[in-house]
Amino acid sequence: DNSDAPAQRPVTLDIDGAGDPDGLEASDPPQIDLLGPSTAPEVPFQEESIDLYAEAFTSLQDDSVNSESIIDKLNDQMMESVMISDSPNSEDEDVVPIDTLLGQNEDDEALESKGLKRDAGKEEDDTNTASSVNAAEPEEASASLFEEELAKTGDKIETVAQAAFDTPSPEGPNAQDTGTTPKDELVPVCTIFSQGVQPKAQALIPDGFQPILVKSPSFTISNTETPNRLVPQVCQPSPSLSKFFTDNGAGNPASDFFDSFTTSTSFISISNPNAESPKATVPPEPQLLSGPGSVPTPGPQEAVPASTYFSPAPQGGVSKPQASSVEPGASMSKLQAVFSGGDDPFASALSTSEVDKRYDAWLPSEETRRVLISVATHQVNPVQLDREHLSMPGLKFDNLQGDAVKDLMQRFLGEQAAMKRQVLSANSVEQNFLGLKQLISTKNWRAAVDLTGRLLTAHGQGYGKSGQPSNHTTDSLQLWFVRLALLVKLNLFQNAELEIEPFGNLEHPNLYYEYYPTVYPGRRGSMVPFSMRVLHAELPQYLQKPQETLDRLHGIKSVCQKILSNLQEGFAEDRSMVNLTQENREASIQLWRSRLSRVMYSMANCLLMMKDYVLAVDVYQSIIEYEPEQKVQLLSGIGRIFLQIGDIRTAEKYFLDVEKACELKGKSPNEDTSVLMNRAFVHLSQNNYTDAHECFASVLKIDPKNPVANNNAAVCLLYLGRLKESLGQLEGLVHKDPALYLHESVLFNLTTMYELESSRSTQKKQALLEAAACREGDSFNIQCLKLV
Amino acid sequence: MDVNQAKQEHLLALKVMRLTKPTLFTNMPVTCEDRDLPGDSFIRLMKDDPSTVKGAETLILGEMLTLPQNFGNIFLGETFSSYISVHNDSTQMVKDILVKADLQTSSQRLNLSASNSAVSELKPECCIDDVIHHEVKEIGTHILVCAVSYTTQSGEKLYFRKFFKFQVLKPLDVKTKFYNAETDEVFLEAQIQNITTSPMFMEKVSLEPSMMYNVTELNTVAAEELSESTFGTMSYLQPSDTRQYLYCLKPKPEFAEKAGVIKGVTVIGKLDIVWKTNLGERGRLQTSQLQRMAPGYGDVRLSLELIPDTVNLEEPFDITCKITNCSERTMDLLLEMCNTRSIHWCGVSGRQLGKLSPSASLSIPLKVLSSVQGLQSISGLRLTDTFLKRTYEYDDIAQVCVVFPYTSPES
Repeated sequence: DNSDAPAQRPVTLDIDGAGDPDGLEASDPPQIDLLGPSTAPEVPFQEESIDLYAEAFTSLQDDSVNSESIIDKLNDQMMESVMISDSPNSEDEDVVPIDTLLGQNEDDEALESKGLKRDAGKEEDDTNTASSVNAAEPEEASASLFEEELAKTGDKIETVAQAAFDTPSPEGPNAQDTGTTPKDELVPVCTIFSQGVQPKAQALIPDGFQPILVKSPSFTISNTETPNRLVPQVCQPSPSLSKFFTDNGAGNPASDFFDSFTTSTSFISISNPNAESPKATVPPEPQLLSGPGSVPTPGPQEAVPASTYFSPAPQGGVSKPQASSVEPGASMSKLQAVFSGGDDPFASALSTSEVDKRYDAWLPSEETRRVLISVATHQVNPVQLDREHLSMPGLKFDNLQGDAVKDLMQRFLGEQAAMKRQVLSANSVEQNFLGLKQLISTKNWRAAVDLTGRLLTAHGQGYGKSGQPSNHTTDSLQLWFVRLALLVKLNLFQNAELEIEPFGNLEHPNLYYEYYPTVYPGRRGSMVPFSMRVLHAELPQYLQKPQETLDRLHGIKSVCQKILSNLQEGFAEDRSMVNLTQENREASIQLWRSRLSRVMYSMANCLLMMKDYVLAVDVYQSIIEYEPEQKVQLLSGIGRIFLQIGDIRTAEKYFLDVEKACELKGKSPNEDTSVLMNRAFVHLSQNNYTDAHECFASVLKIDPKNPVANNNAAVCLLYLGRLKESLGQLEGLVHKDPALYLHESVLFNLTTMYELESSRSTQKKQALLEAAACREGDSFNIQCLKLV
Repeated sequence: MDVNQAKQEHLLALKVMRLTKPTLFTNMPVTCEDRDLPGDSFIRLMKDDPSTVKGAETLILGEMLTLPQNFGNIFLGETFSSYISVHNDSTQMVKDILVKADLQTSSQRLNLSASNSAVSELKPECCIDDVIHHEVKEIGTHILVCAVSYTTQSGEKLYFRKFFKFQVLKPLDVKTKFYNAETDEVFLEAQIQNITTSPMFMEKVSLEPSMMYNVTELNTVAAEELSESTFGTMSYLQPSDTRQYLYCLKPKPEFAEKAGVIKGVTVIGKLDIVWKTNLGERGRLQTSQLQRMAPGYGDVRLSLELIPDTVNLEEPFDITCKITNCSERTMDLLLEMCNTRSIHWCGVSGRQLGKLSPSASLSIPLKVLSSVQGLQSISGLRLTDTFLKRTYEYDDIAQVCVVFPYTSPES
């Protein structure tokens, strides 16, 4: 309502109600332009700016308007990338302030005059008006103004520098470059240091991104990842915290001229220069998986299925020899007992489990299907297959990560404090799936990636093995899936893309069980887990190729639909005539429906990132049919999408549907957190922070521990001008209940408020770092602390 | 990164943050199935993550609000809001603090502070907070000037200022075009282009007509009593999308009567545009008065009152012309009709129409036939004022569709 009120005042344009707009408007009738009772008519840019009068549309003026808008766009562009959009003579600005900046200390006097001159000149060029910007107290103003600007320029430079080495990288090093490129050419960047140490120097060479990055000699190979990693900033400025739709992407000029907000807005994964070389430190490798499986014949590979503890059907006969000989295998077989029902190896070898069949079902492409049939009928020996038709993955980098939290502690809290930081590393856990799961659930994803690397190396798909034939097993593909999933979770999209590339479109015949008739007798279907297909499809969208993501998702979706219709028509998943029991059929239908809905979720999410709101809303809406129990969440989510666009009325319609759905469930709308939360968002969109805060507070009455409501209430307080209160609340929550509040979004808000509150924000942020260090694993995103 | 190291001698620190709307946190779901290697650990991690939507963890758009990360863009017509915080960094009490925030544009200087009275004292570690709002009405450079003056315990009076510069950009490109109808109606087409980098929800685009006109908006389609927008259900404009709005303006009867009034350059009205972006961030613009050149009718205006749309080939049809004397004097008119390649006038050419006083009009029925099929233009009327011996030519006054009237043998 609040926001609508001003809309109804036709003449009053002043939101504050300050001044007397009516009077002004009346007294200023010739006012030519986009509103602003206060606009002075003689300012030249106004004339060119917005309107074309009746005839101008077809007249010469049209051109001028067009070009004017182009200039505007250019300005826009500049604003985004470099932020020195202010004046047409930005070249001057690029250079002059840096020079002067460097000389600042020696020659204050000279600077002042320079500043003056520059200001004056700019003023003229800029607006051609006898502007009064500095008219009041010209000398003092421009001098101190300049000082501010200098400070600003310093910051800008950083951005420039970043942009500079961002831009060349989008093409990214090719997969082929990885191993071969000379070391000195590809310099790994430690972003922490490059920012702090070199920004000015970099800025002096605006387009050169290669020369001055900090080298980390301990890096052996993982060169490709660094330039790559920086790419996401280009289009998606901060992959993790910044996935905001609004100020998304290229959109944000980061013109953070406020001194308190000089932090880089992007979250960059930090490659740790001190990362240990895995080769040196890898403990004697337990032969968990088969040895270097580069031999293409299935024979030596037989061992592999032994460790498929997560697949209920052990290939018993085959697994025996290794399972007993390998130490970790023992734990595997224990697990096997837990997971699978089939103890009789022979029986299970003959009849593959129904569950396996259900999960592994897939419809290969026509070409792949032909190859698989010919393998099954012994027309073709798999060894003779053309390499192009096989997927031959290998690690593309084997030195990762480390622990950014610890590095940060070393830097800010000293060596001793850093010593206290205890996290699991790839070395400190069992070198098997159990250890891997432990690393994942303790949020040590970087270490987990390292461990998957080791396990894959043991499997013969280690570093540099890409392009060499190796056999796939259920386990190796699961390892790949976990590794890629973690890389995505860590926002290391380029790395993930590099490593998934040899898998092609996941259609290679050697990714099917039928390809290995001796290892997996009788087993059919895809070795590639369904989740990996989804991940494979989702990946391109994070690399600014959302269209590819949609294509792949549509492919998966159509397979899901075909399988579902096969099942509904009384066939097995792959349309074979195998008899399914009613129970199995229903279980399978249920599974495939849930997979279909997962794919649709991915599609809707991708469309939302593409800002194709119309389609995104359609798809979310259609998911309700598959996931009726998520109706409330989905409708609320759609409502939030409309709020994001700014369409409050439509959002309210959806929120009303949420209330109805809640009533159907027998809940009173006033007691339902999602209803209250939605109301809060509507108030927020109407600039009514008081009522929004009240709504969040009433959520907290029902659910005092609700982290979203707590955080959002604090955010509202800030907009109400109650910084200290807001800060106190959020700080208290983080220290009282770190499990819930040591989250990057909350920490980001908190550090932002620290910066606004006091000049001593660094100390307070360090306290947060300590808190995070005690609890968080190595995947903690240190960027949200804004310490660097 | 504290930039104000040099100013450390001051006991107070001034911080400013632009308050754009907060944003909703988006998370990145990575899921697996129970049978996959990570088992339930991925889903457990997602469920434990406070930023996910509980019960629908794969939905990326969460509910967690995050504060603005950077200054962003600001566009003409939007409201510039800022948080101004003055913090006592020292260990001593500071007195008589006055914080003043002014906005300097290329044409004026505005005071934005909520209050102009001094705060009598500020304890260590305490803040003075202010949230300022200002609807920006000018394009180009703006400078926010924040001045702080205070007295230390020892009675020393100190003062410092900070300047924050930002650019106000143009959000929309508006182009207009007028179409004059045969009647007195005027159609206005307005092309509105979003030249920002984010989607814009167009909440209102309306034409406020000047006193001479009534306006009808032609941007909805009436379907079963519900009027539906011609732009579909989603009324938002993607970056660099353009949308055409159409309006029909009819002169109010009192102005229409006197043909002389609407002559030359007339003011049509202005467009009022209200849009919203992220979480209701609102912007509003009005164009200047749109003007159009009324079509010049000269001394004598000839308009058509009646004409069929479709006629048969070589078959005479009736039209009625209205002749209005727009001049200030009485005219004595003579009507001539000249045939064109396709249009053949029936009746006598060179007919006397008699005297016509200023602003008076008369209707004359005419007969005409076309010898060519297709869309034909009615041309060839000549009016001569016998007093001044001046001839007025009227060509292309209307079009008719000429069809072949006989049905084909097959049907």
